[in-house]
Amino acid sequence: MQCPSDKSKSAMLAYVLKQYGIVIALILICTALSFCSPHFLTWPNLITVTRQISLNGILAVGVTFVLLTGGVDLSLGSLVALTGVVAASFAHPGDYPLIIPVMAGILAGMACGAANGVVITRGRVAPFIVTLGMMTIARGLALVISGGKPVSNMSPSMTRLGGDFLGLPIPVLVLCGISAVSWLFLKNVRLGRYIYAVGGNENAARAAGINVNGVKLLAYTICGAMAGLAGVILAARITTGQPNAGLAYELDAIAAAVIGGTSLSGGIGGVGGTLLGALLMGVINNGLDLLNVSSYYQQIVKGIIIVGAVWLDRKHGK
Amino acid sequence: MIIRSSKHFIGMFLLLLSALIYSGCNRDAAPDKKTATDGSRQLVVGVSLMNLSSEFIVLINKAMLESAKDMGIKLIITDAQRSAEKQVQQIETFIGQKVDAIILNPCEVEASSPAVDTAIAAGIPIINVNSATKSTPTAFVGSSDEESGRIAMEYIVKRLSGTGNILIMQGYMGQAAQIKRDQGADEVLAKNAGIKVLARQTAEWDRAKAMSLMENWIQTFGSKVNAVYAHNDEMAMGALIALENAKLKDKIVVVGVDAIADAVQAVKAGRLDATVFQDAAGQGRTAVKLAVKIAKKEPFEKETFIPFQLVTKENVDKFAR
Repeated sequence: MQCPSDKSKSAMLAYVLKQYGIVIALILICTALSFCSPHFLTWPNLITVTRQISLNGILAVGVTFVLLTGGVDLSLGSLVALTGVVAASFAHPGDYPLIIPVMAGILAGMACGAANGVVITRGRVAPFIVTLGMMTIARGLALVISGGKPVSNMSPSMTRLGGDFLGLPIPVLVLCGISAVSWLFLKNVRLGRYIYAVGGNENAARAAGINVNGVKLLAYTICGAMAGLAGVILAARITTGQPNAGLAYELDAIAAAVIGGTSLSGGIGGVGGTLLGALLMGVINNGLDLLNVSSYYQQIVKGIIIVGAVWLDRKHGK
Repeated sequence: MIIRSSKHFIGMFLLLLSALIYSGCNRDAAPDKKTATDGSRQLVVGVSLMNLSSEFIVLINKAMLESAKDMGIKLIITDAQRSAEKQVQQIETFIGQKVDAIILNPCEVEASSPAVDTAIAAGIPIINVNSATKSTPTAFVGSSDEESGRIAMEYIVKRLSGTGNILIMQGYMGQAAQIKRDQGADEVLAKNAGIKVLARQTAEWDRAKAMSLMENWIQTFGSKVNAVYAHNDEMAMGALIALENAKLKDKIVVVGVDAIADAVQAVKAGRLDATVFQDAAGQGRTAVKLAVKIAKKEPFEKETFIPFQLVTKENVDKFAR
């Protein structure tokens, strides 16, 4: 969502093409799928696709903040497991009102995200290492809290969070909500624009008087909070807190952001692209299942389409 | 700079020190072969488990600890965290500690075989529990996974009276349990031409993945489906929730394998049609008993198969934990 600063015509054109690269890929794949399967382009299936991308979407929006600062967060999958287990532990029927498990999950995620941010900024340790450490710490905590077993027996009010509201899946509504807020924040709030500045050129940002460490800490905390939200929703959806849930979710989230044009080196990208990236991955997943492609080939096809989509994007971008 | 690096040095030193203290503590916890109350030497058995973050393995572990306590022997439990390489190292450590017997819960058929070989070469009896290795251990306790596939599929055939369309949700592709649970089901399918498999797909033992897969299948096959067979209960639960959300559950039979607590509860509530009980506690207890027998040089069974049991609403109370 960031416009090139010089705003020259050719740069604008490249920018537009770059934005459209992923849209073109998405349209091509959707067209192909609607010819291949009569079930693809139906309202229930489209709802299914959006429901299935909602978790990855929330995580991807969260990690977009971190990627924009030039960092990375590898702990997302484990945070989803940990926060899901924490939320589920507070969600037994008759224990607490719904707000408690939801907030417990989100706060646990925020705390872990903030811990990542503090060690990265104060300790000056590479984000890759810190979040890799958090990945195993959070997984371990999830196993300790749950005793290695899924935390089940969840109240109906909690499981309803994974269901529908006025015909639309609640996880999708949540994704829409946080995307809109994130988009506005990154675009219109000064602090949001600082995130781009820090990722674009850290030294310049510091020279301009931006509190670089504070901005980074904020990005990791937001990312952790989103992971907490995703963990709560996953737990609600599968009606248990699973200590083993969320394996490799961070890779899908980062892939969605990068497919959507967010740069791994920071400063470039945004929530809109990330959502498109998540949508593309979800459509591929759904389409391959609809076409009953063998599980072995699915993995190959997915990899090729992901690389292909980014390639198309970059070619237009040049 | 000098201050910074010396700070670093102190930091590293402290880290190293704590590591040393920690390993020292571990050594204290290692077998000291103290004598039991009756004067005879307490037996020490080393245990290497595939993965202590799997619910099923946690149950085996619990049963082993309980029966070790009852029999007055000492267990050293280690977790290989799915790494066959780590498992081999753990067995080597056990050999160094001169344990009386080893219980191995192998990560992989081929890659965990060196663990068995080194133990046998060192003259320490080794018992495989739950899954097999290519090398032959001193003894084996487990269940044959084909049987669970057979039991699940026979139940589906019975419920559909021999005709209908089914979906198969597979475990992680290439793992022994996935291959064998497919094989067992296929044996039954070969004898029942009226059952048609609409699709087979992996959901990698995972509940969330199974839910997505089922949602996609509902879009494709909808009301054509008569039954779903999932290779484990986690996936069966995922499929069940997706079907319930789509209000299709009352028309479709869902069967899983493992009888985890959640699935047993669902059977009891009349949501899940059936699961197949694999006796984790029985496997764990038998393994410890065998280890003691072998260490005391008493006669023992080379192979013990703990049978699977079908769990339906009729007999579910027996399995509720």
